[in-house]
Amino acid sequence: MPAEPRRSIVGDLRTIAVNEIWRYRELLYQLTLRDIRIRYKQAVMGFGWAIFMPGLIVLAGTLVRFAMAYMGGSKVELSEIAGMAVKAIPWSFFVGALGFATASLTGNLQLVSKIYFPREVLPLSATLAQCFDTTIGTVTMAVALPFLGVHYGIALLWVPLLALLIFMFTAATALFISCANLFFRDVKYIVQVLLTFGIFFTPVFFEPRMFGQLGGRIMLLNPLAPLLEGLRLSIVHGHNLVTPLVTATGSGASFPVWNPWYLAYSAAWAVIGLVVSAIIFHRAEAVFAEYV
Amino acid sequence: MVPTASGPSIEFEGVWKKFQRGELHDSLRDLIPAMARRMMGRTPPKDQLSQGEFWAVRDVSFSVKPGEALGIIGPNGAGKSTILKLLTQILTPTRGRCMIHGRAGALIEVSAGFHPDLTGRENVFLQGAIMGMRSREIARRFDEIVAFAEIEQFIDTPVKRYSSGMNARLGFAIAAHIDPDVLVIDEVLAVGDVRFQTKAFDRIKEMCTSGIPVAIVSHQLDRIASLCTHALLLDRGSVVRRGTPTECIETYLHNEWSADPSGGSNLATTIESIEMEHPGEPVRSGHSARFLLRGSVNPSGDGPRTCAIRVREMNTGKSLFAIATSECGVELPEEGPFEVAIELQFNVPAGVVSVETSIWDRATHRDVARGPAATLQLVEGIRFAGSVHMQPLMQLVQPRVETGRSELANAVESRN
Repeated sequence: MPAEPRRSIVGDLRTIAVNEIWRYRELLYQLTLRDIRIRYKQAVMGFGWAIFMPGLIVLAGTLVRFAMAYMGGSKVELSEIAGMAVKAIPWSFFVGALGFATASLTGNLQLVSKIYFPREVLPLSATLAQCFDTTIGTVTMAVALPFLGVHYGIALLWVPLLALLIFMFTAATALFISCANLFFRDVKYIVQVLLTFGIFFTPVFFEPRMFGQLGGRIMLLNPLAPLLEGLRLSIVHGHNLVTPLVTATGSGASFPVWNPWYLAYSAAWAVIGLVVSAIIFHRAEAVFAEYV
Repeated sequence: MVPTASGPSIEFEGVWKKFQRGELHDSLRDLIPAMARRMMGRTPPKDQLSQGEFWAVRDVSFSVKPGEALGIIGPNGAGKSTILKLLTQILTPTRGRCMIHGRAGALIEVSAGFHPDLTGRENVFLQGAIMGMRSREIARRFDEIVAFAEIEQFIDTPVKRYSSGMNARLGFAIAAHIDPDVLVIDEVLAVGDVRFQTKAFDRIKEMCTSGIPVAIVSHQLDRIASLCTHALLLDRGSVVRRGTPTECIETYLHNEWSADPSGGSNLATTIESIEMEHPGEPVRSGHSARFLLRGSVNPSGDGPRTCAIRVREMNTGKSLFAIATSECGVELPEEGPFEVAIELQFNVPAGVVSVETSIWDRATHRDVARGPAATLQLVEGIRFAGSVHMQPLMQLVQPRVETGRSELANAVESRN
């Protein structure tokens, strides 16, 4: 650890990436393995858990859609259910990862106060362990989608990038929240509430266009919203995400529902968010053992 | 943490560490007033003390080079564990610098990373990774670790079903196979049963004598005395004494005992000092050592005019022997200074012992006040096992020889 108090952002990032994450990659791997193992040990449902949560989200969403269609006198299309399935997977990844990451520092009290290792690995391993579940969910969904009338096309090439951005945004949030929870124990309650109701503020059941022009824009301010919408448009509708999309649904007026700039906005959140929270985490790390 | 040209080492330069008494603000409610204070510029600079804060470590400096083993001793709250936490980067110093050059292996909380639901095998890899070992290294030494811990049969059993002894043995075994450049040990010398403790101690000794720099914190003073080349005595965060382990242990015990002025101020007898004839020189177990006890009697004081000495084994704190001057036929003078020469034969096993003095009341059979103490190291002399050497006399007695018995009797008589 450098002794000089002078800090620079670039220097910090180098320290985090090289000295902490890369040097301790085996620890990151072992902790991820631990988190995955303990999740499936003595669990009767086993891998079923990985599809249980997204499955439930799709089921709940379908109910909501049926109610809406009934009131509006229209029908629920298969592609709408496919769209919800596509968005349920990343949303349950986000919720699951944050659920485990929030307590990752305070739950490993013995380790944090007794043994030195870069503390970043704790929230990061919680996030990575969730990736395992999400992979199982994704494979299941990939098999199921063609039955919901989805034809895979070239636009699928967007999926890795969108997945990466979702991972980065989740990792950024995980780092920040686990660190905040170490100092202030009320954070975990706030997170719990936000994650429970977050599904209503994120377009999982809905699409932004259902809220009209202004409402849709507001909904897309949520950094996750353009990423989820991007997944839905590229997978279900085969949209190339580069050309803006204009809708004519609703009360007859047409307005834009997709613009590549939305994606740039989310990417900025993911990248800048990860840098900022990694630096906050790194600088707070030195006093963890005193505050934990 | 890059090894320098001078080889692995521990450096501790003018380190200060500040702690806060009481609770830190732990919920958002407390954060806002604290931030407001900060914005008003009311908080003092970071390296000054503000209300409720204290120095847990003040201006401690030392360095440990290859081949050296530093023992850190002192009473509870002296700052020993804080220093180890500073060394292992768990805490950062408020002022000063602390560095470990080379890969640090810490025998601290050796099973802290265990997860109860994982098997012994899975936990070995996890704990090893937490301690900074590569998976390949762990795999290579896996059999050795399991054999050392003596849990071959249970290695695929979840750790939650282990006994606490098995848990501790496995943790120690992992930590003992790290092959560090620098070793830091905190009070892990008591692991498992007596047999395993001996094995663990031998392993630590092996690591200590392998030439790497070592820092040890322990309350087992005799272990410090036998493992360390140097020692540091701490009290309330400051270095009180540095020197050889025996010197530091002596000062420590002396301070501990004389810091207790329980006897009131106006006692007739005061003990000024007790000194060994050849201070610092080790005594062979079974041999004698001479001491000189100096004191004075003030005729206007009250209380008894009898001193007592007590020999205590430092590892266990057990009192081995105690006797009053009066029991040895020594009557202290009515007035003025006195000196009592004492000779003790240490018929006890090797280890660190202290000779404590006290003012003793013959009527109540109690110590009225404690006096100073001397410490000495007993090295192995006559080989024997047990807690006391019973001066055995053995003779080969020929069968049917009438004189055999009386010769033994003569020999015993000639000793008295």
